[in-house]
Amino acid sequence: MLSRTQILRYLRLRYLGWAALGLAFAASVLTLYLDSRVRSEFEGRRFALPARIYARPLELHVGLRIPQPDVEQELRDLGYPDVAREGEAGWFARSGNELEIALRAFVFWDGPQPAKRLRVAFEGGAVTALRDAGGAELPLVRLEPLPIGGIYPANNEDRVLVRLAEVPQQFVQALIATEDRQFYSHKGFDPRALARAALSLASDKVQGGSTITQQLVKNFFLTPERTLQRKLTELMMAVLLELHYDKSEILETYLNEIYFGQDRDRAIHGVGLAAQFYFGKEVQHLTLAEAALLVGMVKGPAYYDPYRHPQRALERRNLVLRETREHGSITLEQYAAARAAELGVTRKPAMGTSPYPAFLRLVHRQMRRDYDEADLRSEGLRIFTTLDPRVQRAAESALIRRLAQFDKERRFGEPGLEGAVVVTDPQSGEVQALVGGRDVRYRGYNRAIDAARPVGSLLKPAIYLTALSEPSRYTLLTPIDDGPFVWKSRGAPDWEPSNYDKKFHGAVPLRVALAQSYNVATARLGTELGVERVLANVRRLGVERELQPFASALLGATDLSPLEVAQMYQTIASGGWRAPLRSIREVTTQEGRPLQRYPLAVEQAFAPEPMYLLTAAMQDVVREGTAQGLKNFLPPELAVAGKTGTTDEQRDAWFAGFTGDRLGVVWIGYDDNRAARLSGAAAALPVWGEMMAALAPEPLALAKPDRIELVWIDPQTGLRGSMSCAGALELPFVQGSAPEERATCSGALDAAVEAVDATVERAKSWLERLFGK
Amino acid sequence: MKYVIIVSSVLAGCATVPGLEPDLPPVQPPETAPASRSENIAIAGLMENARADAAAGRLANAAAALERALRIEPRNPRLWQELARVRLKQGQYAQAESVAARSNSWAGSDNALRAENWRLIAEARTARGDAEGARAALDTAERIGR
Repeated sequence: MLSRTQILRYLRLRYLGWAALGLAFAASVLTLYLDSRVRSEFEGRRFALPARIYARPLELHVGLRIPQPDVEQELRDLGYPDVAREGEAGWFARSGNELEIALRAFVFWDGPQPAKRLRVAFEGGAVTALRDAGGAELPLVRLEPLPIGGIYPANNEDRVLVRLAEVPQQFVQALIATEDRQFYSHKGFDPRALARAALSLASDKVQGGSTITQQLVKNFFLTPERTLQRKLTELMMAVLLELHYDKSEILETYLNEIYFGQDRDRAIHGVGLAAQFYFGKEVQHLTLAEAALLVGMVKGPAYYDPYRHPQRALERRNLVLRETREHGSITLEQYAAARAAELGVTRKPAMGTSPYPAFLRLVHRQMRRDYDEADLRSEGLRIFTTLDPRVQRAAESALIRRLAQFDKERRFGEPGLEGAVVVTDPQSGEVQALVGGRDVRYRGYNRAIDAARPVGSLLKPAIYLTALSEPSRYTLLTPIDDGPFVWKSRGAPDWEPSNYDKKFHGAVPLRVALAQSYNVATARLGTELGVERVLANVRRLGVERELQPFASALLGATDLSPLEVAQMYQTIASGGWRAPLRSIREVTTQEGRPLQRYPLAVEQAFAPEPMYLLTAAMQDVVREGTAQGLKNFLPPELAVAGKTGTTDEQRDAWFAGFTGDRLGVVWIGYDDNRAARLSGAAAALPVWGEMMAALAPEPLALAKPDRIELVWIDPQTGLRGSMSCAGALELPFVQGSAPEERATCSGALDAAVEAVDATVERAKSWLERLFGK
Repeated sequence: MKYVIIVSSVLAGCATVPGLEPDLPPVQPPETAPASRSENIAIAGLMENARADAAAGRLANAAAALERALRIEPRNPRLWQELARVRLKQGQYAQAESVAARSNSWAGSDNALRAENWRLIAEARTARGDAEGARAALDTAERIGR
């Protein structure tokens, strides 16, 4: 018979057994769970790679009009230092008016371009020679396009994936010497290191208790809280990870995972991106000193930030070098040279997720039409856009400077004036610059795209275009009545437009009514033509928004965004050829496989003749009308065409205009719709003028359609005159629409002069035929 | 830059009032400038690439090369014409016709070029099933070509 104590012992043993069994069971369940997590997540783990967005590549060729400093700026923005680094790519050197450039290799949409050396000579603000290292002439060279941001995963993690083989051996040595000396021999954790860490928690030893494997597990699977339970889970997962994967797989993943600090709101992950961000180079070109600096940052990227704490970062780097010398295999010479090296980080300004958030918004919007949002944020797509950083800079600085000046002059108080700018290539419809507000790095409200404001007189060209499409009724000289006018229509209050100067001007030639932006004459003309007809032409010009069919819409009681205005004016600037505004050229996969092109597309929306006449009238706006002030910025020979716009109580100030190579739209006003008390000519035009002046625009020269003839007009009588009439104007007319009757000032002498003119014309066309043009 | 402006204004001054001005591919760089010849090298190189790509069936690449060239010389009617040819091969008949017409808008008095554009337009119209339109385009080509 069992004694009481025996029974008790038996029961205890039994319970203990059950408990042990239960524990073992729980442990194996936990292990199995962790194991499956480790395997599924590690195996299925693909780093979420942001879509990477590039500016247009700068294409160098002889004859390209670009000042040398602008090319240097582009290279600096690319992270090219201006010192020769023989044997490496990615630098430039200046000698007088010549640049030597060591271009990095780059995979373009249409294939890879290898690294190459070139020499570029400049003179008078243009490229005069372009040669390779051997002195052979190069027809055309694309520089790498500037990265201008990305579409990031939710946590704004950014990285550039690298293979282990691409990472310099010295980097790996330094990392292992500093972070985990037993890496190649341990099984996921290092008991000795753990013990050491436990014993000397307070001391500032280089090595922490965590192995590289543990650090990876921690970053990958776990939250950053510091509990014993979490530490144990980490340990088990590290062991499991080591069971399933070999050291090189673990190391490669670690190298792509590690966090290297913050670029504003963008998190720099992985050694590939860190090499680019801190040193402007590919990881394989990292020197020992640079590698040591990065390895040193692993412990605390903010604490050892080489920009904010250069001394601390330098000391840490040298410590890493010492460890590497002790435990790695670098020579004493290599060690000494690396210790003596400067920090060497690039002087690149912080970019954050993008320096051009407003333009990126436009790109993102276009991409979302064709791609899944999740793919955009994880597949590492490469998006090649149309942004021209030179133009963007000019637009930003003109807007910022002018707004600051207006604020100061007028003391309007807070919040200050706002503005937006859009610049496009009128022929192709490519958007070259987009500014969404005076705080150009701000990612919020984008006035260029999202703010629809009354456009005022900017709609007037559509009215004049409608009129000029009927040459038998309207020419540039047709008198338009600018006398008092009331428009009555059923279901709407009477409409009685007034002029800006509150006066009436009687009968004025059509071109003058536009040049002076007379509201009454324009309203009369528009209602004569029919509101519906005019609005139909506004749509044909490219405005897709539904417009209210009221007569007041003619004078700009219509809300459009600056981008929509740019679309409308693009069609005018290209002579009637509508091209949808585009911000993207090509999209490729991460590896460079082409996915999609957004090709140039044009469509003839209007006959060339009325467009030619309208453009001539818009050149008059600048030469003698409301936009005369432009002469303070640009020489009259550029023959800019444009239109000012000002709304009621001067809430909105606009200017839209074009040169031979660029179209720009500027809006200025208050977000809360307060009266700005600034006209289009006083506020928007100076921004436009200052911006364009910085870009040395090409003159606007129109291709004269066959059916257009130029006729001398006597301005006094509006009759056919000649050059000898006082103030004679040569105006374009659709053939047969010019006045027949001759002014008295055009006498016999003039008839002779005209005959000579005609002879010269014939000779010119004979020469053209002879030389094929 | 200044040079270009001065020259163009002088040219303009001879013929017409500045601003309402000249016939054709305007504002050629002055002939003495080192630019003009080599600028053609860039264009010629891209044109060559485009033709090679098109011949090899890489039509998107051919179009991209021509678009690059057009960014440098947007008023060159030969580039627009070549692009029209590529659009035709790509089966984008509406664009082929538009782009050929765009070439015509810069072609000035180059009748051979214009006639060729009308032939391309005729081809595009035929492909879209517009036989009548195609015939009209061919007639125009015939008339100009003579």
